[in-house]
Amino acid sequence: MTEEQPVSAWRCYSVTGSMLLVMIGLSVRLAHFHFWVPDANRQELRSHRTVVRHALVRRGAIRDRNGARNILAMDINVKDVCADPYIIHKRSAVHDVSMMLGGILEIEPSTILECLDDPSRRFAYVRRFVDERVANRVGAFGFEGIFFQEASVRRYPQDSLMCHVLGFANYAGYGGAGVELSMDRYLRGSPGEIVTEVDGLRHDRYLRRTMAVPARDGAHVELTLDQTIQYFTEEALGNAVKAHFARAGCAIVMRVQTGEILAMASYPAFNLNEFTTADPNAMLNRAIASVYEPGSTMKALVIAAAMNEGLVSDTTPIDCEDGAWSHHGRILRDHGHRYGTIPVADVLRKSSNIGAAKISLMLGPQKFYDYTRQFGLGKSLKLDLPGEEAGILHHVDRWTGISCSRIAIGQGVAVTPLQMLSIYNTIANEGRMMKPRVVRRVLGREGNVVLENKAEVLATPINPHVSHTMWELLARATEEGGTGKRARIDGMRVAGKTGTAQKPENGGYSDTNYMASFVGFVPAESPELSLIVVIDEPQPRHSGGYVAAPVFKLIAEQAIRYLHLPASPYQVVSRM
Amino acid sequence: MKRWQTDLLRVRRMSWTMLLATVALCTVGIFFIYSAGYIEGNPSSAGAGKHQRQIAFAGIGLLGFLGAAALDYRRLRKLSTWVYMGGIFLLLLVAVIGTVQYGARRWLTILPGVSVQPSELMKLGAIIMLARFLSQPGIDLSDVKTVGSALAIAGVPFVLIALQPDLSTAMVFVPLTLVMMFVAGVPIRILLILGLLGLLLMPFGWFLLGDYQQERILVFLDSDRDPLNAGWSKRQSEIAVGSGGMWGKGYLRGTQNILGFLPRSVAPTDFIYSVIAEELGFVGSAAVLLLFAIVIVSGMRTALLTHDMMGRLLAVGIITTVFGHLFVNIAMTVGLMPITGLPLPLLSYGGSFTVSTLIGLGILQSVHVRRPSRPQWGAMSYG
Repeated sequence: MTEEQPVSAWRCYSVTGSMLLVMIGLSVRLAHFHFWVPDANRQELRSHRTVVRHALVRRGAIRDRNGARNILAMDINVKDVCADPYIIHKRSAVHDVSMMLGGILEIEPSTILECLDDPSRRFAYVRRFVDERVANRVGAFGFEGIFFQEASVRRYPQDSLMCHVLGFANYAGYGGAGVELSMDRYLRGSPGEIVTEVDGLRHDRYLRRTMAVPARDGAHVELTLDQTIQYFTEEALGNAVKAHFARAGCAIVMRVQTGEILAMASYPAFNLNEFTTADPNAMLNRAIASVYEPGSTMKALVIAAAMNEGLVSDTTPIDCEDGAWSHHGRILRDHGHRYGTIPVADVLRKSSNIGAAKISLMLGPQKFYDYTRQFGLGKSLKLDLPGEEAGILHHVDRWTGISCSRIAIGQGVAVTPLQMLSIYNTIANEGRMMKPRVVRRVLGREGNVVLENKAEVLATPINPHVSHTMWELLARATEEGGTGKRARIDGMRVAGKTGTAQKPENGGYSDTNYMASFVGFVPAESPELSLIVVIDEPQPRHSGGYVAAPVFKLIAEQAIRYLHLPASPYQVVSRM
Repeated sequence: MKRWQTDLLRVRRMSWTMLLATVALCTVGIFFIYSAGYIEGNPSSAGAGKHQRQIAFAGIGLLGFLGAAALDYRRLRKLSTWVYMGGIFLLLLVAVIGTVQYGARRWLTILPGVSVQPSELMKLGAIIMLARFLSQPGIDLSDVKTVGSALAIAGVPFVLIALQPDLSTAMVFVPLTLVMMFVAGVPIRILLILGLLGLLLMPFGWFLLGDYQQERILVFLDSDRDPLNAGWSKRQSEIAVGSGGMWGKGYLRGTQNILGFLPRSVAPTDFIYSVIAEELGFVGSAAVLLLFAIVIVSGMRTALLTHDMMGRLLAVGIITTVFGHLFVNIAMTVGLMPITGLPLPLLSYGGSFTVSTLIGLGILQSVHVRRPSRPQWGAMSYG
């Protein structure tokens, strides 16, 4: 059965036409996508697929001079507990997770709630630097959305020991003070960098790496300091500061021939593991970063200089004017002592101000200034620690009429304890001024030596002959009748000088606040160690001989025993 | 000559152009299912065996295609009710003992490891039933009862499939029913009224949608919404298409799919076209569109050449189904439609859909080979 049905035909055509039109539309859209994707999009795309990864590196350790056994600073592996707030919100577990984590990590659940607050975030630190054991306990719960990141944190096993020398590294792994700062570039290592494309699951595509610099752990730093000497130095210093109700104090022990610092203590000290909350006053390394008017300890410099110039010998008589001498309209006194004409040796032994002032005048300002400069005053000694002060020494052109005689007795000049020690070390070392240093060497991870600091002579201000004479003169200062007799050690001659300096105050000098110091070296006949002890504002007794000399003795005695230093001929004679 | 012999001889008259286009599409599909499963540096894992299974599906489908082409489609007049009722039965069976996958009950396991999607076969069942119904002699197409019955024929499977839930497959019934009614001659004003009713009901449909469906539509409307989750596939698909350029990155070189930016679970199925667009560029993806255009035009030509109304409606229904899938899938790939789970006919991985599409095209060929030798303009018969 057949009949006309023209309607159906046009309907078929229109259906076909519509379909083809739609397909043309689709191909236009396709063309649009293929040919008109903005470059910015492509750029964005590439950046999404490229990631930069940094490997975790460990900072090198800091050890004392005895090597790997005595670790003073080290990195330990810890974990950061991290969260994916988005997932935790999705599981509606914010509250549960906060409570549980709070319990394990021992922090307030509300703090955790706060960091999980924003459900659109995919990353938040719950707590950084968590001990691995604790992290494992967190991991055992298997919270969804809680994960860990490898991290390392700096630890100082000895807490406050050597704190001023070591300094600290911050949480980002950068040195912030002390050796941690000065040796940062060795300690830090290089984090390495991998730039790679990733696939849809964020896995690396090894064949599409554009850069792969391997990470290198930091090198170890070996100090010249000795942990044991440092320990009893800090003990002796701390006890003295407390016993004399002093504000602060510092002490340094140095190897005479090499300039290596064996101990450098400053009190008060702080715990390196809690450096963020430490008192700024306790963080000051007084041995290098504080300056003081040295007082009598300067006299050795004047006398050594004058002898080096051949102006005086140890027997040259000096008229000490019976304790009061007017010079340039100012009266100089010898603390109530009335010395007549005494030899140069006694000027030092008795610590006569008038005697020392007169000797400086014999030198004259220019010569005297030259010697002080040669002995390193008024400039930094380039110690390998940050924060070393240069002290204050005016140029000779700016000296007034009394400057020369006042600087000779340690007034109108400011030094760091290290500078003062360096003067005596130079005398002890037959006139050779050594560059002081705290870093012995830097060792790579494979045990290779990256850097080795050698002994270095900075200057030779006096000749060996003068220095030998000075040994004798300084040894007499600690004998009966000398100001430093409390520094004496049984069986060994000690060379040294006391310093009792009034602290400058309101343009004049204080009558109550003193800097008590003792500086010298042992043994007097063949110097091995030089030491300085400075006590800030001891009360009520304040003389260097009373306050600082015993500390010197205590430290020197122990150091000699510890280092098995050769017994002096004096000791052998005395026992016979 | 026996009847089956004449039937086989008739097959020689089929539209070879369409057969070639169909086979070409199947071949392209197999190659890109392989590519979609390809993992860089691990060629043995490529396709995870899916391309081999797709070869088997295409083989079975082509047998079905030839069988259907040989079979006289007019026999479907009597069989239509059975086919349709069988389909409905299977859908009900799925609802009871179906296998749940991706949160929907769509699969019927007939043998261990072999499952079918009755909803795919139901499309054919509904087309056959509608063609049969709308081509009855003397039917009054402007009668509301006729239109209502036609809607009911499509409506029952629509509801059953939508409840699985598989809304996108269900939605395919809408264009095919409307286009078949249109070609059958239902007055345009009735179709307009139906269209208006549909538009009015749409806002209510929103509340029937699941959360993830609403999210997909919201993502479609705001392309930067949630780019890491619901928006991920859409964005990655657009990137894939856009990065292809004129000639593409080359076979097995599409970084979007090989590196897993296109989710691997959907790359060989719903997003096969983005894989093609990325690796073969504009030229390749336009060529695929052209192959589809050949299938559609030759199918519609069959509809025009036949003098039998049922044959014409079958051809139009089958072509509309193919077109509907094609449009929704490609439009989704290029960001013109929300993400839906509709595969691309002949190209996407999937047994039931490949086989049912090929059988459908076979039925179309069956209509084609039985066209009058000298077609007369406007001549039309009703059975």
